[in-house]
Amino acid sequence: MAEDAPAPTHLQLFLGMQQVALSSFGGGLSAWSERIVVEERQWMRKEEFITGLTVARLFPGPNQINMAVYIGSRFRGLTGAIAALLGILLLPFSLLMLLGLGYYYLNMNMAVDRVLAGVITASAGMALSMGFKIAGAYARDPVAMVLAGASFIAMTVFHVRLVPLVLVAGPLAMAWYWPRQEKP
Amino acid sequence: MSASVAASAACQAVQLGDWRELLAVIGDFLRLSLFSLGGGNTLLNEYHHMAVDQYCWLSSRQFAEIYAIAEAAPGPSSMIVGLLGMGAAVKEGPLWGVLSGVTAEISILLPSTLLMVVAALSWNRLRHSPWRVAFERGLGPITLGILFAVGLKILRISDHDTPAYAVSLVVCVLMLRTKISPLWFMAVAGLMGALGLVNR
Repeated sequence: MAEDAPAPTHLQLFLGMQQVALSSFGGGLSAWSERIVVEERQWMRKEEFITGLTVARLFPGPNQINMAVYIGSRFRGLTGAIAALLGILLLPFSLLMLLGLGYYYLNMNMAVDRVLAGVITASAGMALSMGFKIAGAYARDPVAMVLAGASFIAMTVFHVRLVPLVLVAGPLAMAWYWPRQEKP
Repeated sequence: MSASVAASAACQAVQLGDWRELLAVIGDFLRLSLFSLGGGNTLLNEYHHMAVDQYCWLSSRQFAEIYAIAEAAPGPSSMIVGLLGMGAAVKEGPLWGVLSGVTAEISILLPSTLLMVVAALSWNRLRHSPWRVAFERGLGPITLGILFAVGLKILRISDHDTPAYAVSLVVCVLMLRTKISPLWFMAVAGLMGALGLVNR
């Protein structure tokens, strides 16, 4: 068994996550994260990285940001998490702020306005695909489909807000799916 | 034009200079942070409600546009919160806009990040807990329902004519059936907009 590389320092965490952010300009954040953290820098074994992804998806927060927090805190606790978080966010967020300044403060001409009118039809299609993307996992479970349908109707027809919806439907769903003691 | 005047009269933008209002907005983001299931996209309806209906920072049309910008820009698309924050302070000037954007982004990330640190450090104990199993299996379908509600909402605020809906549906199918980068869809749709093939 090869020894794992020594635990990365705060600076290495920051720079490593920044490399992930830079490499993924154009897409594929998740794949780049694994390539850099597991293959190039060998901070984690693949199994540990996959465990991290599971935790990142389970807990609230954006998945890729949660993954950076997971990596940072495994090695250096809370401060490591902050270093990793800054690494993955600093450049993309700065760029987004620049785009925002351009959007809000430059007077847009008709041409830009028409391009945006087109672009939002594509992003609306992307938004619409989010639900379909994960629907397959629940299609064979009638209770899950009822829960999903009820949440959808509550939000769309009755304008129930997210927080009360999750606070009411969440515990009910958790009670239904509570693991039963079948296996010894 | 008269319609938009009427709308702005009905909706009074909050003064972020009033520190109580400011704290209320920050509190909203902090609270939502812990409810960002499914990677954060479930919050888009709440962002729209806050920015357009509750605090009147943006029009629905602007919301659709900053959603597109956040999706097209590199990095996690959940950074749209930074653009919302900027929109909230847009009248105060660019410097306050950036400051407000950064504040909003920190507020939405802080609680979920702290929780994630705890989760990362105690995962071995959590892993086989019945709470974790029930949470994962129970909240999954709810997330699914919310994501459909979010998709429909964004579709409604973005598209207003038949060609626009058709483009959105085609993009949706291509997103599910191919691995083409979404940037291509946005580029082609932007070109269609420039040529006047899709309109608001």
